[in-house]
Amino acid sequence: MSEPVIRVEHLKKFFPVKGKLFEKKQYVKAVNDISFSIRRGETLGIVGESGCGKSSLGRTVLKVHQPDSGHIYFNGTDITKLNEKQMHPYRQKMQMIFQDPYASLNPRFTVGETIAEPMEIYQMYDPKERMERVQQLMETVGLKPDHIRRYPHEFSGGQRQRIGIARTLALNPEFIVCDEPFSALDVSIQAQIINLLEKIQDERKISYIVVAHDLNAVRHISHNIGVMYLGHLVEIGPAAEVYQNPKHPYTKALISSIPVADPDYTGLGKRIILEGEVPSPIHVPKGCPFSTRCKYCTEKCKGQMPELKTVGEEQVACTLYE
Amino acid sequence: MLKPEEYFEPLPASEKNEEYIAMESKSFAKDVWERFCSNKRALAGLILLGIIVVIAVIGPWISPYPYDGMDTMISNQGASLAHWFGTDQMGRDEFTRVLYGARISLMIGFVATAVNVVIGIIYGGIAGYIGGKVDMVMMRIVDVIYSVPAMIYIILIMLILGSNVYSVMIGICVNGWVNMARIVRSEVITLKEREFAVAAFVMGASKKRILFRHLVVNAMGPIIVTATLMVPQAIFNEAFLSFIGIGISAPAASLGTLAQDAKMLLAKYPMQMVYPVAVICVVIFALNFIGDGLEEALNPKGRR
Repeated sequence: MSEPVIRVEHLKKFFPVKGKLFEKKQYVKAVNDISFSIRRGETLGIVGESGCGKSSLGRTVLKVHQPDSGHIYFNGTDITKLNEKQMHPYRQKMQMIFQDPYASLNPRFTVGETIAEPMEIYQMYDPKERMERVQQLMETVGLKPDHIRRYPHEFSGGQRQRIGIARTLALNPEFIVCDEPFSALDVSIQAQIINLLEKIQDERKISYIVVAHDLNAVRHISHNIGVMYLGHLVEIGPAAEVYQNPKHPYTKALISSIPVADPDYTGLGKRIILEGEVPSPIHVPKGCPFSTRCKYCTEKCKGQMPELKTVGEEQVACTLYE
Repeated sequence: MLKPEEYFEPLPASEKNEEYIAMESKSFAKDVWERFCSNKRALAGLILLGIIVVIAVIGPWISPYPYDGMDTMISNQGASLAHWFGTDQMGRDEFTRVLYGARISLMIGFVATAVNVVIGIIYGGIAGYIGGKVDMVMMRIVDVIYSVPAMIYIILIMLILGSNVYSVMIGICVNGWVNMARIVRSEVITLKEREFAVAAFVMGASKKRILFRHLVVNAMGPIIVTATLMVPQAIFNEAFLSFIGIGISAPAASLGTLAQDAKMLLAKYPMQMVYPVAVICVVIFALNFIGDGLEEALNPKGRR
């Protein structure tokens, strides 16, 4: 099997919380001991509820946040300890699509300037060829090339997301982190963007991490799915398997919460309602982070965080499967 | 009952132009200019300032009198066709001197502001963007500079470099940039958290590029407004210095010097005081109106 494009081992990122003077320093454990790998042309979906560290994971993999420990391998090279100068050639191959298409485009740049900027930074092509390539990219993502001189505020949300995607593709990346690419868009536009991302993946064999909380959209686009809870990866496996046959009690609850678009659906009673609140990410429970809300919780769960164990085609971190 | 598909009918192919944008594309600058022009007070200020700048620049060339040409035979005359604003106690043409003074005052205002803007953007931008300890140290230096009154710097510089236009400019610049640096810093701090700055970072943009092409460009609104209000401040400071006698010295004249010269004869020839002071007032009013108009034009959601 070929070397994965991205391999992450025991990645950790803790953010310090501003505490009072002389108090013990506290941390939000946003990304806590996460490992996975993504092969060429595949998509890893990351799901989980708000504040579980999905976005932080995506940004840490791209080294927007410097990881505290663990390793990130890009095509087999360890990029964890590289400084910004050494990262420069790798940045070209690792890109990001943002959640909010309003905030992620510089309002003072025209569409043409926005899409040409990455090529300018890497000094790809001469200025004339650059403009031609900008027009090609605009066509690729479904924008009219004659809108090249317009400003972001003149476009709709879906169109802006397309501008963002065109900018990302300008560098011919091999790996893209999509940070909630659909959540700021309405449903019909979401479908267009999902199809666009899939089309690009087929043509260019790009690998994606798709961070989202829309479970149906993630299922549609992902080959593999990882489920996060309070900074931990609790389950990871092929998309169909995770959705049809969830193993971890948290995944079960999450999957059962997906609304079904069928008025005759009678399975509402099967919905698993979790008790209690998500604990604060500053005070993560000892042992399994889900132990405070899990009905299968045993003494063992409260002792130590269970390791990811292979169960069938998946990997699950739960004492039930040990 | 109609079936769902019978509620709708397909559009003809000619109407399938969903990407059509009807509004004319406007750049940010054009948009601001249009809003600025719709504000009558600001536009009047701009026109007035334009007129004063034009006659101050070309006036002394076409005037038949030199600014320092004395003729004691005709001293302290009133306004006449030959001398529009009359003459001063040395018999110099007051109109020429006011034009000349306005030229120097405006030059000091604009040059000092330009220097302050450049220093302020670079210093404030770096402090805000790097943040942390660098920011802390840089802003404490700013606090120290700011805590000493501007007059003390100016008087000290005058003592060393003599009283001329350049030492007044340097004196105004020594702590004038501090305000600009503070404004740029606070803007950069909020802007650097925005997603387009993160996007530029992920694209591999250098720190310099992110700061100047993405952050400062987006902070241009407050920078322009502050700069516009700095010009009258500098003109006012210069006039004040010259009036108390430590500014530009004779025979060169700024508006402040003219007012100072007129002070001694105020009871007898009050008009000599009126002309330069009126010009100072008009310039400062015009600039303040422009500044207010720009603020509204750049920040249309803020007011109205």
